[in-house]
Amino acid sequence: MAKIQFFAFILLYVASNCISVNVDNISSDVRIKNVDRSIDISSQLVKTSSKITFENTGKVPVKQFLLAVEGAAKNNLAFIGARDSNNKDLRLVETTVKGYDNVKFWRVELKESVNAAASAVITSDAVFSKALLPHPTAITQQEDQLVKYNSNLYFYSPYKVLTQKTTVVLNTKSVESFTKVKPFSQQDGNINYGPYSNIEPFTEKELSLHYKNNSPFLTVTRLERLIEVSHWGNIAIEEIIEIEHSGAKLKGPFSRYDYQQDHHSGPASVRSYKTLLPASASDVYYRDTNGNISTSNMKVKKDSVELDLRPRYPLFGGWRSHYTLGYNVPSYEYLYHSGNEYLLKMRAVDHVFDDMQIDELVTKIILPEGSTSIKINFPFAVTRLPDSLHYTYLDTKGRPVITFKKSNVVENHIQDFQLRYTFPRILMLQEPLLVVGFLYALFLCVIVYVRLDFSIHKPEHLKE
Amino acid sequence: MPAAATENKANVPKKGIFNNTTGFSTLITVTVLSLAWLAGFASRLFAVIRFESIIHEFDPWFNYRSTAYMVQHGFYNFLNWFDERAWYPLGRIVGGTVYPGLMITSGTIHWILHTLNIPIHIRDICVFLAPVFSGLTAIATYLLTSELWSRGAGLFAACFIAIIPGYSSRSVAGSYDNEGIAIFALQFTYYLWLKSIKSGSIFWSICTALSYFYMVSAWGGYVFIINLIPLHVFVLLIMGRFSQRLFVSYSVFYIVGLLLSMQIPFVGFQPIRTSEHMAASGVFALLMAIGALKYLHSLNPKGQWKQLLILGGLIAAVTVFLAVVLLTYMGIIAPWSGRFYSLWDTGYAKIHIPIIASVSEHQPTTWSSFFFDLHVLVCTFPVGLWYCIKNVNDERVFVALYALSAVYFAGVMVRLMLTLTPVVCVLAGIAFSILLDLVLREDETPAPAQDSDDKNLYDKAGKLKKRTPEPVAETGLGMNVRSGTLIAFMILLMLFSVHCTWATSNAYSSPSIVLASYGNDGSRKILDDFREAYGWLSQNTAEDARVMSWWDYGYQIAGMGNRTTLVDNNTWNNSHIALVGKAMASNETAAYDIMTMLDVDYVLVIFGGAIGYSGDDINKFIWMVRIAEGEHPKDIHEADYFTERGEYRIDSEASKTMLNSLMYKLSYYRYDSGGSPPGFDRTRGALPGLRGFKLTYLEEAYTTEHWLVRIYRVKKPDEFNRPRLPLAKRTIQTSNVMSKKTSKRRKGALKNKPILVKGKKVTKLD
Repeated sequence: MAKIQFFAFILLYVASNCISVNVDNISSDVRIKNVDRSIDISSQLVKTSSKITFENTGKVPVKQFLLAVEGAAKNNLAFIGARDSNNKDLRLVETTVKGYDNVKFWRVELKESVNAAASAVITSDAVFSKALLPHPTAITQQEDQLVKYNSNLYFYSPYKVLTQKTTVVLNTKSVESFTKVKPFSQQDGNINYGPYSNIEPFTEKELSLHYKNNSPFLTVTRLERLIEVSHWGNIAIEEIIEIEHSGAKLKGPFSRYDYQQDHHSGPASVRSYKTLLPASASDVYYRDTNGNISTSNMKVKKDSVELDLRPRYPLFGGWRSHYTLGYNVPSYEYLYHSGNEYLLKMRAVDHVFDDMQIDELVTKIILPEGSTSIKINFPFAVTRLPDSLHYTYLDTKGRPVITFKKSNVVENHIQDFQLRYTFPRILMLQEPLLVVGFLYALFLCVIVYVRLDFSIHKPEHLKE
Repeated sequence: MPAAATENKANVPKKGIFNNTTGFSTLITVTVLSLAWLAGFASRLFAVIRFESIIHEFDPWFNYRSTAYMVQHGFYNFLNWFDERAWYPLGRIVGGTVYPGLMITSGTIHWILHTLNIPIHIRDICVFLAPVFSGLTAIATYLLTSELWSRGAGLFAACFIAIIPGYSSRSVAGSYDNEGIAIFALQFTYYLWLKSIKSGSIFWSICTALSYFYMVSAWGGYVFIINLIPLHVFVLLIMGRFSQRLFVSYSVFYIVGLLLSMQIPFVGFQPIRTSEHMAASGVFALLMAIGALKYLHSLNPKGQWKQLLILGGLIAAVTVFLAVVLLTYMGIIAPWSGRFYSLWDTGYAKIHIPIIASVSEHQPTTWSSFFFDLHVLVCTFPVGLWYCIKNVNDERVFVALYALSAVYFAGVMVRLMLTLTPVVCVLAGIAFSILLDLVLREDETPAPAQDSDDKNLYDKAGKLKKRTPEPVAETGLGMNVRSGTLIAFMILLMLFSVHCTWATSNAYSSPSIVLASYGNDGSRKILDDFREAYGWLSQNTAEDARVMSWWDYGYQIAGMGNRTTLVDNNTWNNSHIALVGKAMASNETAAYDIMTMLDVDYVLVIFGGAIGYSGDDINKFIWMVRIAEGEHPKDIHEADYFTERGEYRIDSEASKTMLNSLMYKLSYYRYDSGGSPPGFDRTRGALPGLRGFKLTYLEEAYTTEHWLVRIYRVKKPDEFNRPRLPLAKRTIQTSNVMSKKTSKRRKGALKNKPILVKGKKVTKLD
């Protein structure tokens, strides 16, 4: 009992330490002069991009700037990033502010501090997944998919905003209903709100849109990415993908007749999608547990290999599919070494389809047998799972496997990780020697068996 | 081809730089056998190259599924496996109803490879098992033939069996079935049997029994061995060739083999309880009796032993026969099973067991298929047989019996062509070897050294064989005749190998779950509808959903779709199959009752009308009707499904029962595509008679791209609009109509049960 309490205390201590790492204050000196915000909801993701012009009204130079995401949306947030006026990425650190427990904050660390009375421009990008809800939740084969989007009409910020404009990109004119707060205008599948002026910090006002969205609503529920490094010049990549149509569910029967006759039938269904692989990818295979999926095409382009993947059946709302996609890439593009030190630089996750969303990503990196002192740098926060061993051809003590996990992944997470390890090059000889040794032993046995007589008594015809 | 050349060299002793003749001929034998293995393996890979590494057809899917289960859960769990995914709601005890040899073989290979860290997927092992075993079969055939005749004949036979279509039809890559390994076991058992009968050693007899055990674990065809070997012994006894060697080898083989075969759960006590196995025990008893008489004779050699022997033997035979008949009559020994009867009477199955007759591979063999499967060997093997009978000895009696019985069985059933093929290869190998001996033998060559060995072992053969060729060679055959014959035979052999490759590639290498069609420009289009449908089932239906289909597709639904089926290719329960057949043959309302009774969630039918696929359910439908009629003669009548003129049609001439049957409706529901005119059935070349109808109790759940597989969902009672009933019929008939079952159930009724009367309060229990 005492032991458990002790551990509980330690846990609490560690936990409280972790939480209290970053605490920031909202500087009252910063004031946002203008926000130009665009919300793209034409795909299954919500992509916001806000161009923020802020000024320092105080006396001391400002080195940092806070971004906030309201409590209602923070669970859907998949990615957030910021750029300066030269399109250079800025460092973001997750932080908290006292008194705003329900709000998520990021501290943008500016490259150059903003002097008093000066102003600066940053652009913040955010991607939200599963923020578009199908309404109605079930449709028949012939119906269009309608979705609802609820958000904040104003740019959510801890600072006061003087003027702001919002453009919502829908790419469709068939809008069932939308929030009407003057001034607003609707044109060419866009809805423009604003300019609104003098909005106080943390103001929330409902923005609601109900519109037609037949873009593919595909969710990768689980993606397992396996990277197997060989020092013989090859890196094998295999992705085991479970996919689901997460849009409005199919209600009633599926009719092949309608689907075949009318190409507009099943507007919300997904017949195929494109996956981009690295340009050097070769030996591509696309299969599931029942074997090769014969309905796919491959195009080799200049800078990528484009796979046109068709699941065995079209995906309607609520239908699932799973498959394995694998290919080889030459290792010289991704693996660098000097002496016994190696550096592997590869994507933690790769493109599955445009505007993808992945619920759970598990990446496993299998290193050659005998690799030691493994260090890995991730481009984003991940959960590192315990290391394990993998046995394959001619292995004796197993290959080290590095595993990590991340949930809610979108295209913006297609970034490189860096893995450093040490591998004594002499170990390259181990596998050929094993083969040679085995064959040597085999032939020796045959020679011994043929040359020597092991019988207990001689057969009769030899006795004479 | 290589065999011809090597045989030539092997028979020329002490020439050239190789002084060590044995070493040289061993080298050649090993080379030829490994080449035969390679050729056999390679010629079976057409399906893999053309399509992919995939399990074929129907039964292999079950074998693969159970192998995968065994690899995953271990051997003992496999033996105890109760599969609730099959034969809903009965289930199937898989461990006890399967020949586990195949699964154990591939499971063992898998285990060995994984112990050596070679991560090969079990599917690939299963796919390539049969081609690998074809090489082993070639070696076993070589051994068997060299026991019978000579090593040259053995090499010929090995090369023949490696590529012959009759065997490769059952052992192409992906056809993961019992036969693939069983033919090896069969040939190897026969080889060991000949070895043991030649030597009379217990060692070889035990080996025979062990090999027989492997055969029993692998295939139901082991019955062929356990009847052929006793037949051999029996014929030898009749021919007066009783010997101590025969006595030892048969009694050891029989006892050990019997005990071992009973260790297979599926076989169990059958070897002592069924008529199929009685011949073996009868011969055993006879052999014992004769052995005892011989012993008595040796005690008193001057007695009238010949009469005693014949009389005693006859009495023993009659006693054994009467005992078997009596035991059968008393019910201790089961009589011949229906499948066995159908071997003697080809019309039997058609009348009594339609389910056997409905399988195409159980049909009698046509003449052309003999030629197709065996090509030139079918003409040459009688030559080998004739030589064997002419130069008879103990072993050659066996091969003669083997050939005669196998020819008979192959004539009865297409499927049993498989048992004929090995013996044809053996005998044709002998024939070709004799011929080449004749043509290639140098005039002044002294008789080969091995012939002197033969003299000791064979009683007459050595002399005759030596004498026949020599005078002919010296007197009759000139150089031109020799080379002419040689060239003719080379061409014949070449044609043979071309035919084998062609037949394997075109007739036997289709996975049948992936179809390919060729366009006018030669481009290939793959029709992957089966996997499309099974993939859909496995991903988009409830985990425990029950799928009703005709039994052909049961294994595939379980293997690829991973869903519960009602009936499958293990056709052990005829009435259950008949129930499904009845549902398919009834109208929608009657079928719905059966389907709710069986908890069916989905119905799967195969419809080939859109692409002209002839093996679809409408073409099989008449068998469903026949099987259903066998069990439910009151409800289903075969004649109702034909037109008045007795034709089987689906167009507007078709009978009303046909047009209203569930199978018809599910096949043609909303089928309006296809060629011109729309809705045209390309398989039967007709326009369906009933079109534009609606389904009440089912809805289309999924149809594949080429309409080949159609899946329907059975609606729940609250989902459909019931057909309108007239007011008079809206009573619930419970008390009037009572089936046997319900009256039985009434036994458990409550006493003082409150009686419900509409409009009155319920009288409460005291």
